[in-house]
Amino acid sequence: MRSSTDGWLDAARDTGHLVAFRARTVRRRRASALGLVVVLALTALFALGPSGFDVASVGSPAVERALASVQGNLGAAFAGFLLLAVSSAMGSGGGRELLSRSEAAVHPISPVTEHLGALLLAPVNLAWLVQMWGLLAVTALVAPPGGLLGAQVVVLTWVLAATALGQAAGWAIEGVRRSPHGVVVVRTVGGAVVVALAGLHLAGLLGPLVRSLPTTWIAETAQTPAWPLVAVLLLALAAAGVVVGARPAAWALGLPPREELRVQSGVHEARHAPEPRWGSPDRALLRRLDRASVWRSVGMRRGLLVLGLGPGLVALVAGLEWSSVMVLPGLTASGAALLFGVNAWCLDGKGMVWRETLPVSAADVFDVRALVVAECMALVSGITVVLALLRNGLPPLVVGVAVLSCWLVVVVQVLAIVMTWSVRSPYGVDLSSPRATPAPHAAMAGYAGRLSLVTTLTALLFTGLAAVPWAWVPAVAALPFLAWSTRRLVRARRRWLAGDERARVVLTVAAV
Amino acid sequence: MTQTPAPAVVVRGLHVRFGDVEAVAGVDLTAEAGQATALLGRNGAGKSTTMKVLAGVVPPTAGEVTVAGHDAATDALGVKRSVGYCPDVGGLVPRATPWEHLQLSARLRRMPAWEERGRDLLERFELGDVAHRVVGGFSHGMSRRLSVVLASLHDPAVLLLDEPFDGVDPLGVDATLEVVADARARGACVLLSTHLRDLALEACGEAVVLRGGNRVAAMQAGELTGEAYRALLD
Repeated sequence: MRSSTDGWLDAARDTGHLVAFRARTVRRRRASALGLVVVLALTALFALGPSGFDVASVGSPAVERALASVQGNLGAAFAGFLLLAVSSAMGSGGGRELLSRSEAAVHPISPVTEHLGALLLAPVNLAWLVQMWGLLAVTALVAPPGGLLGAQVVVLTWVLAATALGQAAGWAIEGVRRSPHGVVVVRTVGGAVVVALAGLHLAGLLGPLVRSLPTTWIAETAQTPAWPLVAVLLLALAAAGVVVGARPAAWALGLPPREELRVQSGVHEARHAPEPRWGSPDRALLRRLDRASVWRSVGMRRGLLVLGLGPGLVALVAGLEWSSVMVLPGLTASGAALLFGVNAWCLDGKGMVWRETLPVSAADVFDVRALVVAECMALVSGITVVLALLRNGLPPLVVGVAVLSCWLVVVVQVLAIVMTWSVRSPYGVDLSSPRATPAPHAAMAGYAGRLSLVTTLTALLFTGLAAVPWAWVPAVAALPFLAWSTRRLVRARRRWLAGDERARVVLTVAAV
Repeated sequence: MTQTPAPAVVVRGLHVRFGDVEAVAGVDLTAEAGQATALLGRNGAGKSTTMKVLAGVVPPTAGEVTVAGHDAATDALGVKRSVGYCPDVGGLVPRATPWEHLQLSARLRRMPAWEERGRDLLERFELGDVAHRVVGGFSHGMSRRLSVVLASLHDPAVLLLDEPFDGVDPLGVDATLEVVADARARGACVLLSTHLRDLALEACGEAVVLRGGNRVAAMQAGELTGEAYRALLD
């Protein structure tokens, strides 16, 4: 008789086979290896770099106050990571998949294997990486001399535990979503949670409540000699999370994906062809089709919603000031681009060949697709800015100009980068499942790292420019960025207009 | 003196190369208006790639390709206006409805009154009930039938059907044969690629056999017996 241990061993072995299979299909091995090295180097940099910063030598009461505030809210940041792990797993329909649904359908892949695969892929997520780096950097900043190693070990074990627990919660929520009326239940409960948090915040109770969570004890104990105890407890919690998570995974994966099936058989009554006041009707029709391809996808709709509201609500609830808010539009725009923009042509799937037979100029096709990608990025990052505006009120002129300039720069920057990638490295993918990604996981990790790095560095520059006394400086500083990104976008467009290149993209995306 | 009309499709020495792979290696092909030609051959013979070149999707690497008077290398847009193409795989935008596909195709081809024709075609292919349903949930056969509808909507001068019978039920096959017959009757040139020899012979008067990216035979469809076909494939 087979024991439950055999099941886990088989699942672990199968996960290894799937990972090896995916690894063999990595096209740019050198770039992937370099990407991994960069991620590890950045992790080491964030974990160690800030510890060299001597607050006392600065002698600034404002910096000391900021440091005390960061130290006091470290427990809340730990809790925030758990929230992120849950929302990421929720947003991706339980968790990412090592093999797409259609590819996996012919293989005997167990739910435990799917669960382990989703856990392995959890770090292939921009928000996950940024939050982990943030936790490491803040911990390095506040850890006492000699206590850095222990504190960072605790951070890493917390990251493991929170990811495992978040994954288990994500599967459970996906299971509910797949049950009759589950979508309504999840939306109602999700809305109620947001309203409750907003109510607690307005009543001034949210801060004390979050600080009273066990995560505050974890954050504080991590900086004491008792850190090994916390690390062992968290490792045990992570192991328990992994084991327990297999149950809801099996439950959820055994149910039909109702929302996807409903969307796939969705009825959309005929509408008249658009007759725009300006611009060509051809472009308007193409735009409508492209927008429909985005908003009729469960994964993209859910992802845009989470990206639009999540960081903005964090800014609202955590009371982030404009200097901290500056980094968010770039990260949310990058997140939106990672939903499909990095492989923008995959919206058409196998229909790309048919689209290419239509008598419309290739330039119009490129322009419309770039516009739709830009719209999604501007929308989610715009919501973040508006929510920050609600929290902080109108900023001083120079800060306002810096925020707007930074927002514009990062959107154009990300657009130029992802349209270049879309033409240079297209992939044939099926995005019908919210668990699917627009590119292989190794590529996605590289994309996420590069976008977050570029946009964060840009945001840091504009944060610095917001401190200068002249409001025109950030606007002028934006010009070279915009010029460079526009040049890059034009180059990608020119490449798309070449018949050979376009044929390569079309045949790759349509997988024919 | 009457002048012989130029063939609708002229292919001379067509080469298509994808990196190191030569998908088509010197195909010659002529197809007349008002005739249906079957394109036959084994997997990888170059049928679908040739079709894609004729549809303006893939540019020729070398050789001359003229479709309805348009040079495929220099006037891909002109080719696309003249051609109706049913691709061999998929060919549908997953989150759009059949009606939205028809609307886009008709508007971009400047068809002022297309709704009646579109509705009629959908009914003929028994897709009227699902005209406003997202195609992502369609079966393979339904997708194939809709691809034939899209290819024939604008009464193209050149109708290219790549594996139109694949996974299609007998009623869908009949409807497709009817579309081919209608196209021939109105003077269009039809090129039909399939592995189903019997259906190819039923629909077409001419047959061209490709092997390894080359044309190995061109004949009257009636002359292509089972034995002769097998001999050409080996």
